[in-house]
Amino acid sequence: MSQLDAIRNALPDAAKDLKLNLQAVLRPENLTGPQTWGTAIACSFFLKEAELADAIIADARADGASEELIDDARAAAAIMGMNTVFYRFRHLVEKPGYAQVPARLRMTRMAQPKTDKVTFELMSMGCAVLAGCGLCIQSHEASILKHGLAESHVNDAVRIASVLAGVAVALAMDA
Amino acid sequence: MLTVGDAFPQFTCHACNGLTQNDLISLNSESFGDKWKLFIFYPKDFTFVCPTELVEFGKRNADFADRDVQLIGGSTDNEFSHLAWRQSHEDLATLPYPLIAAQKLANDLGITTDEGVCLRATFLVDPNGVIQWASVNNLSVGRSVEETLRVIDAVQSDELCPCNWKKGEATLSV
Repeated sequence: MSQLDAIRNALPDAAKDLKLNLQAVLRPENLTGPQTWGTAIACSFFLKEAELADAIIADARADGASEELIDDARAAAAIMGMNTVFYRFRHLVEKPGYAQVPARLRMTRMAQPKTDKVTFELMSMGCAVLAGCGLCIQSHEASILKHGLAESHVNDAVRIASVLAGVAVALAMDA
Repeated sequence: MLTVGDAFPQFTCHACNGLTQNDLISLNSESFGDKWKLFIFYPKDFTFVCPTELVEFGKRNADFADRDVQLIGGSTDNEFSHLAWRQSHEDLATLPYPLIAAQKLANDLGITTDEGVCLRATFLVDPNGVIQWASVNNLSVGRSVEETLRVIDAVQSDELCPCNWKKGEATLSV
């Protein structure tokens, strides 16, 4: 039994929809396998769900996911942990003055994905959705389309993020 | 003198990277792959201000490495002089970066004095070989490691996230 199956079986009956959704969203449709796994791993890191992340990574490795992909997921989740706070502030405060001063925050790893730019963007998209910042979501969505993917790809990344958020809630319950 | 935005000159230099004859090596523009490079030029081996400064940079080598920056010291002295200096000066024995014999390079950069020695010049070169920071001190003024790290952080901290997006912008430069 895969590690993810063990997680799915640990979900309470009341969260059966999540159990089925988890299986469905990790079956690649529009996204490639690595894009699907990468987004899922980044989201599980962003949710700080170590057990869930371990299980997804184990199944991803078994499916051939590269260490580079996993490392990009770490980088995307960590940087988005910072940026969804910093830029959400800028977006929500709605005073142009704050946008005029440099952030003075390092985010060089974003420009150096070990896989590719659009995979990193899909990972970032998942995190942006989880953080719930409107402008972050709009800007990452625009970036993914600019890199040549379609709304269907963005939608799949968002489905992955949503289901993992639900699974994280369900896992925290007493079954 | 070359400055920000200029291509750093192609070079091949003899260098001293340790305390023995075996540490006399040759370095060129491609030697450090896609790392950033910080060139620290100083006037002369066997002078007083220079070792303090070079040693201070060496002590913070891990901070530079964290920023993907390779340190490279250099003067118009040759590699044998660099070696003799390092052998004769306790603090320079463990210097964690090479000293290059930069006669031609210093001329190409335009940082030699009338006497033919290097000004106390510093160049930060990005992985594409473009100068991102150039600074020259009077020969009597030492450099600040903290200031150098501050500059590197500022140069490297582009706001690369699409979140740095202002409503109404038609395109994103990511």
